[in-house]
Amino acid sequence: MYGNTFTDAEMDKQLKQNAEAESPELLAHFEHRIAAGEKIEPSDWMPADYRKQLIRMIEQHAHSELIGALPEGTWITRAPGFRRKMALLAKVQDEIGHAQLLYNAAETLGKPREAMLNDLISGKSKYSNVFNYPAKTWADIAVIGFLVDGAAIVNQLINSKGSYGPYGRALKRICYEESFHLKQGHDNFVTLATGTSAQRLMLQDALNRWWRPLLHFFGPPDRDSVHSGKLTTWKVKLASNDDMRNKFLDQYVPKIWELDLTLPDPELHKNEDTGIWHFSDPDWDEFYKVIKGDGPCNAERLNVRKWVALNSEWVRTALAKPLHNQIIWA
Amino acid sequence: MNPKEAIQNLISRMADNAFILGHRNAEWTGIGPTLEEDIAFSSMAQDKIGHAFQLYTLMHKYMGGLSPDDMGFNRTEKEFLCCQFVELYTNDYAYALIRHYLYDHAEAIRYQLLRSSSFRPLADLAKKIAGEIKYHTMHADLWMKKLTLGGNEESKARMQTALNEAWPYALGLFEITEAEESIMQAKVFTGEEDLKSQWMAHILPAVERFGLRIPAYAEPVFGGAKGFHSHWLSPLLEEMTEVFRTDVSTEW
Amino acid sequence: MKSLDPRIDKLLQDMPPHPSAYLEGQCWEAYEVFQQPNTGESYSHVGSIHAPDPEFALLFAKEQYGRRSHTANMWVVKSSAIVAFSPDETDIFDTTPEKVYREPSEYNKVRDKIIQWQEKKQNK
Repeated sequence: MYGNTFTDAEMDKQLKQNAEAESPELLAHFEHRIAAGEKIEPSDWMPADYRKQLIRMIEQHAHSELIGALPEGTWITRAPGFRRKMALLAKVQDEIGHAQLLYNAAETLGKPREAMLNDLISGKSKYSNVFNYPAKTWADIAVIGFLVDGAAIVNQLINSKGSYGPYGRALKRICYEESFHLKQGHDNFVTLATGTSAQRLMLQDALNRWWRPLLHFFGPPDRDSVHSGKLTTWKVKLASNDDMRNKFLDQYVPKIWELDLTLPDPELHKNEDTGIWHFSDPDWDEFYKVIKGDGPCNAERLNVRKWVALNSEWVRTALAKPLHNQIIWA
Repeated sequence: MNPKEAIQNLISRMADNAFILGHRNAEWTGIGPTLEEDIAFSSMAQDKIGHAFQLYTLMHKYMGGLSPDDMGFNRTEKEFLCCQFVELYTNDYAYALIRHYLYDHAEAIRYQLLRSSSFRPLADLAKKIAGEIKYHTMHADLWMKKLTLGGNEESKARMQTALNEAWPYALGLFEITEAEESIMQAKVFTGEEDLKSQWMAHILPAVERFGLRIPAYAEPVFGGAKGFHSHWLSPLLEEMTEVFRTDVSTEW
Repeated sequence: MKSLDPRIDKLLQDMPPHPSAYLEGQCWEAYEVFQQPNTGESYSHVGSIHAPDPEFALLFAKEQYGRRSHTANMWVVKSSAIVAFSPDETDIFDTTPEKVYREPSEYNKVRDKIIQWQEKKQNK
């Protein structure tokens, strides 16, 4: 349908043409279906903007899983002992598996996998900032496995209730696998926290370094975010950044403190009356800097994906056939 | 060599091979040629590491000696008995696939023969993991077929080049050690020569059907089964044990 | 800058300045995957796979969709082979739940009829 010349500009042009043909009746019926809890499937009528926003959202999620395999991949060859080695391998494999599910879900909306991968390596499409940070020690794997995955699960559970059928189905599968990630992540985390003083120190150091990126994970505070009421009506955005961040803190800070580990924020505390966690400003300038490409690992992450594209070209080309009409049902 | 030592020698060689090759194949996790193949190749790498773990566990249970973690992560280079074939580092997928093909067929035949081993735990393990190994050879066979009989000139050429490089090392899979006589006498295993001839009987016609050529003369790369390794193993072990060695007595 | 991942430096040192991109068709074609959890059960749709042909599709499906739950067997079908109703036709299913004359639950009054008939007989 779109081929490798697919660009956002072309998509916008096509969508604008379609939008002019969008009748208010169709839109009303669409919104009524969503309000009634119905799911939208690939061949259903949908507003051009719904399609565009979902492609962007699912694609970014797919890229995040793909790139997310890299910081943890840092320690694949060095995992200590059989149990950790196999668990880490299975976990990173799952990330690739999740990427696969999500690229397929996004593709149902009309953007081919080739186009998405190209937009990733050109730097055009974004992915979750948190994966632009380095996994400096083995303990980083415990922090990522427990807390980054924990944050992702908060996100995924909420989004799995969204209106788009294929995305919801992919998320359901992902959430099921994530429960393994969380448990083994917590197991690793607790093993280090309750282990030797060297292990504990390594974990505390990792925790100190990942805390800010974790707070950034859910995006800028609501007061700074540009909100689209449409995305809420259409059940594309199902919770505010602040709500999800608060949920995360509520679930995980107690689990960190129960091990007598500290977090690098003296202000961090929960208001028991409101249920809201308060924390110091986690430096949103850094967040924007990293998202624009100036983070510690951005260049490396994209270079690895470029290398994969290059190294695998002969394989993919040798087996590729001329393309005809493609439909995916996901 | 007494039967117990002989069995330990056999199992160590098998486990070390599976472990090191599993480690090598696991290096592709996250950077495989396509998403689906990345997932498949990673599963097989996990299987191999799992087989190594099961073999070390079996050995530890029935013969004492080191725990599986200590076998895998706390021995010196010389103590490893893996063949040199599995040690080689590669970021060439053609080589990874050729090694996968040649090694996994040898492993499949070995486990097939071990089903009638006089050492019951080994025979039981061979039966248990037969299905897993079947997927490995199924996967290797399909890729070989599609990249040679299917594919294009480039894929055929790359596979041939990889085969040329791999062949001498593949022959090194069947190294005879001082344990061989005891192993065969105790009917634990029918021996490396038997394995090699069955492997050849399968591989030679298959490779020919794929339109590839076996190198005319190749000196088998031996030494691994006796603790003499390529320059690849030492850095591999150093890297693999980096975290474990910071404290070998704690739980990780 | 040296990577913290020992694999990565070895990879990137050889990379030529080649503008790598995925060309159309290089990610192959889509296949739908159906899984039978246990023998005797129905096959369910579990997702899709990108593969060059059906044999690869089956091989990939085994690991992507079969590496956790128990699987007895799998089917793969080219996505383009699936035939479905279009969205504006799906209202043909609307009244199905109302057709209770086809449901066992509609025939629950049999015992009452028997009792009524017996009572009438007794009162004669």
